[in-house]
Amino acid sequence: MNALSVENLCVKVDNRHLIENITFSVEEGSIIAIIGPNGAGKTTLIKAILGLIPYECGSVMLFGHPFKHANSHIAVGYVPQRLEYDRTFPLTVSELLGFTVPPIYSFPFLERKKEKNLIKDLLEIVGAKELSNRNIGSLSGGELQRIMIAKALVNNPKILFLDEPASGVDIEGQERFYDLVKRLRKEKGLTVILISHDLNVVYRFADNVICMNRKLICSGKPEEALTDDVIKSVYGEMMGAYIHSCHEHD
Amino acid sequence: MNTISEFLSYPFIQRALLASLMVGILCPFVGNFAVLRRMSFFSDAISHSAFAGIAVGALLGLDLSLSSIAVSIIIALLIAFLSEKTSLSNDTVIGIAFSGTIAAGMLIIGMLKGYKPDIFTFLFGDILAISHIDLLLLFAITILSIATLLIFSKPFLQITFNRELAKVEGVNVRLFEYLLFLIIAIVVTVSLKIIGMILVTSLLIVPAAAAKNLASSMKQLFGLSCAFGLISGLIGLMASVYLNTSSGPTIVLVSIGIFFLTLFKRRA
Repeated sequence: MNALSVENLCVKVDNRHLIENITFSVEEGSIIAIIGPNGAGKTTLIKAILGLIPYECGSVMLFGHPFKHANSHIAVGYVPQRLEYDRTFPLTVSELLGFTVPPIYSFPFLERKKEKNLIKDLLEIVGAKELSNRNIGSLSGGELQRIMIAKALVNNPKILFLDEPASGVDIEGQERFYDLVKRLRKEKGLTVILISHDLNVVYRFADNVICMNRKLICSGKPEEALTDDVIKSVYGEMMGAYIHSCHEHD
Repeated sequence: MNTISEFLSYPFIQRALLASLMVGILCPFVGNFAVLRRMSFFSDAISHSAFAGIAVGALLGLDLSLSSIAVSIIIALLIAFLSEKTSLSNDTVIGIAFSGTIAAGMLIIGMLKGYKPDIFTFLFGDILAISHIDLLLLFAITILSIATLLIFSKPFLQITFNRELAKVEGVNVRLFEYLLFLIIAIVVTVSLKIIGMILVTSLLIVPAAAAKNLASSMKQLFGLSCAFGLISGLIGLMASVYLNTSSGPTIVLVSIGIFFLTLFKRRA
């Protein structure tokens, strides 16, 4: 079954196409990477799919259902590219995760054991148990990304959208992050849509790749779709593909 | 000099004390959202639109409290609507509402004949002139606003943290944003008689900003801001009675004193 089907999606702002007739589908339980140069419309594509920006034409189906915006029927997880928040926000990691735990209403002073246990479990899954009482402003880039993954998992989504999730994170942090994503896919059967600039990440972690520059340029398995010509047409003449000999697909 | 017990025996002092307690908790509680969402200018615009509401009420012979609340709510929803539907930035929309309402208020007051002492109560505030009805209205607004913000604290704080994430997580962002704007508008307007139009924003913003200097969690932020608001209200009121100064400015100056103390503590 397809987790995500996008048909002829286009987004227009001031009569200018940001993305044009993008069509692709993602199989349930797979990791798909979206690549393209800066300004190619990758973030716009994800935001349009998630209903954060309106699209001019086309359709989005999640698990066989039309999807216009998030609702209680289809839970989706999202980790944005640059999380815009006030770093002086006096907020602990537990509190941040607690906001997301349903139900939407809460009664103060009541013991919420279930909520506490869920937060504990989620922090354990992302390997951040020790961060529970830390202030979010004091987290490193890698720590924050793991917390954002935990936040994205609160509603038990079947699909995760990650927009350049490891940008600004050191190499070790990136490794841990992508290993976590891979483990989540395996353990929870999650479908992962991932934007990345790093071709190494694409080859190592993605089952399929979509390359775009406002329009769809290629799609398929990374080894097949990312030919030298495709990479040059996406990133320019100076780029080429180097495929690692140690391949890590499951 | 009178003793505290003597002061407390006067009914108008008792009412003033109760009003300062309620405003001391209510304004900072709501103000936390204004501070975290960087909406200080919005509460200023609302207090100025209340001025226009007071002017309209005086012109048409309506109850000034109700007319100010009505106009403030209309302006708050208009700001929310224009910010959402146009490409104008939030502060531009607020700036237009701010100047438009004050201009309308001044124009209407200029058309009124005779001296209107009630209008000056709203401009500068007079906690000692609080009536039983004012107190009841303030009590109802305090309970309703704090209960709404507490029960729906999750979506309100999700939106405050990051609007886009909240939307993806299934929060009806538009509904809760309009509700927050509405609550801020009502709280600002009912506090006008106590603190005055010119200073009401201070009681929303200053205790919340002082608490933000010290707090490392949401629980601490809300607890400390209400404590600071309460202390400012009580000390400010008592000091104004003893020193024979205006209560609104005295309360605000006490809260600013607390803010500077927390600033030093933060730097330490």
